[in-house]
Amino acid sequence: MIGVVAETIEALERRIDELRVAVREAVLAGDRELAGERRSALKSAERAWEDALDAAAAEAGSPAQAGTTPPAGSPERSALPGSLLPLREQVYEALSLLQVPAAPKLIATVHEAFFGATFPTTRVTSLKRDEERSFRTAPFARPYYICAALSADYLAPSRGLLAVSTWPLELRVIGSLSPRVDFLTAAIRVAEAIERIPEPPPAARHLLQRFAASISGAISPAGRADPAAVSEAARAELTVHRDRDAMARAAAAGRARGLRHAEQLFGTAMFRDRAGDAADFAVDPADIAGKAAAE
Amino acid sequence: MTGRQPSAAAQAALDRLRGRALPKNHDARTISALAANPGCARRALMDAAGVDKQRVAAQAGFPAPFGQSRFAIVRGNAFEAQVKENGAAQLLILLREVLGLDVSEVGYADFNDVGGNSSAEVRHRHTRHVLTAPDQPGRTLLDHPLLRLRVGGRPAYLEPDLIALRLDGTFHVIEIKSFAVIDGQADPGKVAAAAIQSAVYVRALRDLVAEAGRDPAAVSHQTILVAPRDFSSQPTAASLDVRRQLGVLDRQLSRIASIEDLLAQYPGTLTFDLDPDPQGRPRRPAAELTAAIGQVAANYAPECLATCELCFLCRDEAAGTTGALGKPVREDLGGIEYIAQARGLARGQLPAPEQAEIAAQLLRAAQLREQVLGEAV
Repeated sequence: MIGVVAETIEALERRIDELRVAVREAVLAGDRELAGERRSALKSAERAWEDALDAAAAEAGSPAQAGTTPPAGSPERSALPGSLLPLREQVYEALSLLQVPAAPKLIATVHEAFFGATFPTTRVTSLKRDEERSFRTAPFARPYYICAALSADYLAPSRGLLAVSTWPLELRVIGSLSPRVDFLTAAIRVAEAIERIPEPPPAARHLLQRFAASISGAISPAGRADPAAVSEAARAELTVHRDRDAMARAAAAGRARGLRHAEQLFGTAMFRDRAGDAADFAVDPADIAGKAAAE
Repeated sequence: MTGRQPSAAAQAALDRLRGRALPKNHDARTISALAANPGCARRALMDAAGVDKQRVAAQAGFPAPFGQSRFAIVRGNAFEAQVKENGAAQLLILLREVLGLDVSEVGYADFNDVGGNSSAEVRHRHTRHVLTAPDQPGRTLLDHPLLRLRVGGRPAYLEPDLIALRLDGTFHVIEIKSFAVIDGQADPGKVAAAAIQSAVYVRALRDLVAEAGRDPAAVSHQTILVAPRDFSSQPTAASLDVRRQLGVLDRQLSRIASIEDLLAQYPGTLTFDLDPDPQGRPRRPAAELTAAIGQVAANYAPECLATCELCFLCRDEAAGTTGALGKPVREDLGGIEYIAQARGLARGQLPAPEQAEIAAQLLRAAQLREQVLGEAV
């Protein structure tokens, strides 16, 4: 148990370091409001660090009780209001489990089901903005960024989908078949994750049940969603779409490679900049991507 | 829709009716409401002119707390988001059952913005480009395409929840509603409203397809209604045939186009202008405005309370008439316009020759009432 606490303390220390950098960036950029926000985040992280340290000290002082502390993933832990990990790491955990771009709501549900802590989805939206700002200030300073998935036609950020910057571009572009392919893939990942855990939490089973309800033949006649059956049904449907989807994604990824790094991660902004100006709106997606690449 | 435009003279007359206010554009709700009370000249005229009825009603002293409730909107949006999340996973399963959608048909295209640009014009052009393309590779569900229907010479942008495209190239309009379907039954009024709204989308979609030189029959009159099942948040789907609603709608739209006939009945000085001061605050006296509104006949029915911003004004005006009690009452009391008149006949007042029959019925009804309740009318 001490190991777990120590890990949280380390995570908090990393978080504190990151926040210090963020405060410095905001102050130097002259953004007082943002600096204030980040300062208060820093203060609460420091407070959490003090608390975690106290808890660790108390536990180290009474080894007899340490063995009775519930293991990670048990109901006691999931009763915690939120994880001590910073939001970006929680999002990273959930996305790493899914291995496909996902919407904030799914990310939060997966995190709650498998990691026992939830977060408001509204915070995830501002997370992406922070990540983009951080990348543009100091590119590749972090091992990974929470970034956007790109729509295959215009290579603009796909509405509401988040991905991880270290994933291959083919996975981060979204063609017309990709939402279904990614949904089926996510179902398989969730089923596999449940099979790995000896006693999967009820929330995880519930999540699998919800996935299964939207896949033909995934639910047993008794109405139960068995991980192996869900996996099998999802794989069966996946074979129908996989090749066509892979081709579309490979083509889009090829075009996206011509973009600058920040655009590859957070999408082209050319349309956002010209919102409302429809006069020279080109309708051929390939043409637009070409233009974006040439910029 | 070029065949349905009002003439330039009529357009000028409509502009004068509206006065200095900016025209208020139609949306699917207002177009459906138009078809809901086809007999109302007041509404037909004001809508054709694009009058902001809400402001006019407020200035005339009858503000209507109009529009959908905030809670209904939040619930509706949440249900729609749930049905559409993860590539509309819940919906695909339903459509496989209702439309017999093939397993390979799962393509999902988002029309909420075009590469980050969400202006109506760009979205409409993108929609038109995609929907009229000769082939539709990998596109089955089209999320929030932006259609356009010309009503009274002005474009109204319309946003269906979804359009489903089947393998054979037929478009089906899908309307997602948050009222519950319990045991396969839903509130008939709400289903009727959904049907007419879907018909508006079918009309707009057919126009778009026809403009591109393709067969309008590619847009099915079978639309799909998706709503929560029983007391859960699980969606269920039902097929709605909107041929009848399309007929009513077409008649209404052509009536707006032939608005000249209606305009000819009113003096050239009639206007609903609010006489705004430089800050845009209306200054026109309420009595004068009410008098102007009163020149155009309304056809008030209690249903108007759910669909028209002028409802309180018209209800006040219609007080004492049999029509204010609803269509069934007016039809039962055929030929009697006022409630007082009906009561008079029931009390034994001598009827006019053409009212003899209904007077006898009223008299009999009053006698029965007295026997049962022991009170006179």
